[in-house]
Amino acid sequence: MIPGPWETVVIAWRRLQRMSTALILLFSLAIASVVATFIPQEPLVPETVAQWRTGAAGPGSDVARVLDGAGMFDVFASWWFATLTALLLISLTGCLLPRYRAFIRTVRRQPVAGRNLTRLSNTTTLTTHADPNAALTAVDAVLARRRLRRRRLAAEETASGHAQIAAEGGHWREGGNLLFHTAFYVLLIGVAVAQLFGFTGQINVVEGTTFTDTRIVYGNIRAGRWFGIDDHRGFQVRLDDFDVTYHGSGVPDDFISTVTILDEGEVAREGSTIRVNHPLRYDGMKLFQLRFGMAPRVIVRAGDTVLFDDSVMLGDNGGVWTGTAKVKTSGPDQIALDLALLPDFGLDARGRPISRSPSADNPVLFADLWVGDLGLERPIDASRFIRDGEPVAGVSLVPGGTSDPLVGNLTVEFAELPMWSGFQVSHAPGRWTMLVGSTLLLIGLVSSLYSYRRRVWAEAWRDDDGTTRVVIAGVALQRKVAFAEAFAALADEARADLTTSDARPARETTMSDAHHG
Amino acid sequence: MAELSDTLFYVALGVYVLAMVAYFFAMAFTRVTVDGVLSSTAAGTRAGRVGTVLALFGLTTHLGSSVLRGLETGRIPLGNMFEYSSVIALLAVAGGLFVVQARWGHVHLMGFVLAGATLMMGSGWLLFVPAGPLVPALESYWFNIHVTAMVGSAAIFMLAFLATALYLARDTAERRVAARSGQRFGAGTVGAASVDVGDGRDAVTADSVVASPLELRRALSPGWFVALPAILLGLYGSQGGARGVVGAAAVGGALGGWAWYAMPHLPSAGELDTLAYRITAFAMPIYTFGVICGAIWAEEAWGRYWGWDPKETGAFFTWVLYAAYLHARATYGWRGRRAAWVGITAYVALLVTYFVVNLVVVGLHSYAT
Repeated sequence: MIPGPWETVVIAWRRLQRMSTALILLFSLAIASVVATFIPQEPLVPETVAQWRTGAAGPGSDVARVLDGAGMFDVFASWWFATLTALLLISLTGCLLPRYRAFIRTVRRQPVAGRNLTRLSNTTTLTTHADPNAALTAVDAVLARRRLRRRRLAAEETASGHAQIAAEGGHWREGGNLLFHTAFYVLLIGVAVAQLFGFTGQINVVEGTTFTDTRIVYGNIRAGRWFGIDDHRGFQVRLDDFDVTYHGSGVPDDFISTVTILDEGEVAREGSTIRVNHPLRYDGMKLFQLRFGMAPRVIVRAGDTVLFDDSVMLGDNGGVWTGTAKVKTSGPDQIALDLALLPDFGLDARGRPISRSPSADNPVLFADLWVGDLGLERPIDASRFIRDGEPVAGVSLVPGGTSDPLVGNLTVEFAELPMWSGFQVSHAPGRWTMLVGSTLLLIGLVSSLYSYRRRVWAEAWRDDDGTTRVVIAGVALQRKVAFAEAFAALADEARADLTTSDARPARETTMSDAHHG
Repeated sequence: MAELSDTLFYVALGVYVLAMVAYFFAMAFTRVTVDGVLSSTAAGTRAGRVGTVLALFGLTTHLGSSVLRGLETGRIPLGNMFEYSSVIALLAVAGGLFVVQARWGHVHLMGFVLAGATLMMGSGWLLFVPAGPLVPALESYWFNIHVTAMVGSAAIFMLAFLATALYLARDTAERRVAARSGQRFGAGTVGAASVDVGDGRDAVTADSVVASPLELRRALSPGWFVALPAILLGLYGSQGGARGVVGAAAVGGALGGWAWYAMPHLPSAGELDTLAYRITAFAMPIYTFGVICGAIWAEEAWGRYWGWDPKETGAFFTWVLYAAYLHARATYGWRGRRAAWVGITAYVALLVTYFVVNLVVVGLHSYAT
């Protein structure tokens, strides 16, 4: 018989509630992340993904098309990953709801009376001269010190007909378990808040220049749906100074940007530093030190007319800093410069120019001058202008140096060598939610793994020989070995306490079959 | 100081191998009686003592090596894969000696711990990097906490993996022996140690299953035990050419053969399974804490706490698999062998995250060299 729509929903819900379904979903999640580890992901390495798509790298463009269709290049934003997460959350909710109910019921319930105490896995019998009531009170104090919840039962209420204390503890096991799983909802809220209200952008600034926190200045923007253009703060950041030091091996040791923040014309922060691992917080935004480079100030003149005067941000190309300057982008005789900078100029054994160290101790700028129809009017990256044949001239300059007049009356000057610094500017709400969520997760995990449900009972009665018998017994549902040790300690403490209230030592017989756990 | 540190590293590696051999002799000179009681001959006891002393000596040397490297570089010695592997091995040996052997009394597991540790050290040695400073992105106290937790949990997970792998072998042996003696099993619980007693409950009657300890060895084919690790390690050694393949395969085969020989000496399947669970349960919060610290540090250094960088993704799937293991242990029908296979997969995921993601996949965490 084919089930109706309502039955189908019920069957699906029941199936999702099952632990084995949750396990299979967890496995699928693991497999998805394996896929994401070995197939390049577009948000991380867009260039590689582009190469896979064209077939220049990877298994070929046909395979790439299939992968693309299945969202494999952006697994964590794909519809099937979202479905998987949603199913897992539904499954989690299905598991949790009945367990919350059961947990509240269990926590509220008074400890149950024990029967046949001497037949439990951990029992101790003590003999004392104190009267049964006092003996039970002494044991009660021991149990109270272990923060067990206790309940005193009169003789009529128990099966054995003796007065009894029923104690119980370890609700933190299930409590921690629930806390652990509930923490995922908190984490999810944190992720959602960050996704919807967050912003991240990147910007490179040359020493001495200023940028304003507006949407248009940033590159690599990731903005949440509800972080609008008007949500930018509009403060200004001026890069006053940038410093970098190197280890002997050429690895950067530390790089520090010193900035001034201006808010509505007033200086809000002065001399603030931004370093890797030490971001600067201002007005809900965080500025992170990301990258840096050299930005030689180049002036190109035609006779006395200044055609170009700007700092050109160069990128590190294996010790050589390279970049392009668009000098004149209109007309038939466009002008561009290919720049290469050696920070510490020297010659190697074969007389070729090299950089002896990464710091700008002896900088030399090499400029190749291109003149003609370079295609600079097209909206493309400056570095990709049309290079036909050879550059019209090549010069090498030291700071402050100016070239002899080149083609026509063009001169190139290497005015000075400031640095540029790259920042990431982020607004990341929900961080505290994430921190709270992960803390709850950890607390829940630890207590669910280490805490254990246990019950302890104590009975006392006057025996025929006039002494008082005290039976203490306990069982644990989990971690039975640990409980056997804890129980032995408890029994010792009870015996010691009963002895102090009574001149003669209490005799004891202890039995434990905990190793069957 | 850097040279002394390197020398001490090699000394520790050599001493561990010697200790491993001594532990093997200690086992070979230990008889297992019909009811599963181990009794060592005088030679066996002596060999065990020699092994323990050697392992302690190796541990001290190893510790010296790491401390010197830390002093030389002025940071905790966890800045690259060489140092990382070394400290994982160090902590694994320490845990094996002081917890598995001294506290829990499983002397015959210690040799396997040393084998795991030396393999880890050996693969770290292939990635040797001279002592040097860190790149600025790694200079943060969060980095110290993060990597310490990661290394610590990786070492403990290694112990858990050994227990799980040996459990699977021993469980197979116990099942086969029990099947031959015509006993029935209870439904899906831990190992053959639980035999169906007829009233629907599982009774733990390991002793009754083991008719003869040597049966356990005979129940398993030594060929597979030698061949499988030999092939696996041989594949790993293939980077080192023909000699690498032969050497690694020989080591793998020897270790596999040893595991086969050790079958009667191992704790019962039930005990091994409990051991694996306890160790994993101990490591899991540390690992979780490490991942959380990593996220906090990523937030400080890169401005985002989670970016699905390959390493982060790898850490995530390792975490998910260990979570699945802990859940499987509590799920009817998954307990026992199935859960153990999940545990094995989780450790493989950890190794892949550590080795493959660091060396093959390029990401923010790729700082092997």
